Amino acid sequence: MTRSLADALNAVALCAVAFVLLAAFAGQAWLGELPCPLCMLQRVLFGLLAVGPMLNLRYGPRPSHYGLSLLAAVVGAVVSGRQILLHILPGDAGYGSPLFGRHFYTWAFVAFAGAIVAVAAVLQIDGQFEGPDARRSKPGLFASSAAWLVIGLTALNVASALLECGFGPCDDNPLVYRLLQPR
Amino acid sequence: MEFTALFLATTVTMLAAWLGLRTVAVGLFALTLAGCVLTYLHHATDPLTLSF
Repeated sequence: MTRSLADALNAVALCAVAFVLLAAFAGQAWLGELPCPLCMLQRVLFGLLAVGPMLNLRYGPRPSHYGLSLLAAVVGAVVSGRQILLHILPGDAGYGSPLFGRHFYTWAFVAFAGAIVAVAAVLQIDGQFEGPDARRSKPGLFASSAAWLVIGLTALNVASALLECGFGPCDDNPLVYRLLQPR
Repeated sequence: MEFTALFLATTVTMLAAWLGLRTVAVGLFALTLAGCVLTYLHHATDPLTLSF
């Protein structure tokens, strides 16, 4: 694998994270379903999943950068797996509306598991790690756009979480934006 | 409130990674991930109101 192909795959990975964060926001905005604490934790972990590709694009591919993504994906799979298990009993409708027959946390588990497999597969290709280890030149427009989109969506989540939870602990089953409620 | 802090920490980590502060980014990543694990353990130890 060449460096350019590795760069392209890392930029695609950033787009995938952006797509996940956008889908979560779409569900929140259009369906009016506020994210629960475990849901928000999964969003944070999707954000952390993007740090590895960003470092790869900025400094060149390194196993340690892929390792960061693996750590985030494993913790994300554990969190989403727990939420699946919380709603596994017969008769439990689950949290939120399903999308294509599965709840968001189920899709999150699939995405985190897919990320683990994808990172492990890309790590098998040694060619991307050959060559100088110096600081790279500026990433291309596609990669830059994807990176800033992920950063922007994560920053929007800062505002969303603040509006939803206020300055106290978040509700287990949030129904309103706490800071937007009249006092 | 803890999720606002986690999202903020993640945003700063991304900015550090993208703007070329690798050591800062890796350090912040470790702190944020540790925060995620602690938050998860806090919620995982909540008593569950199961019906069986």
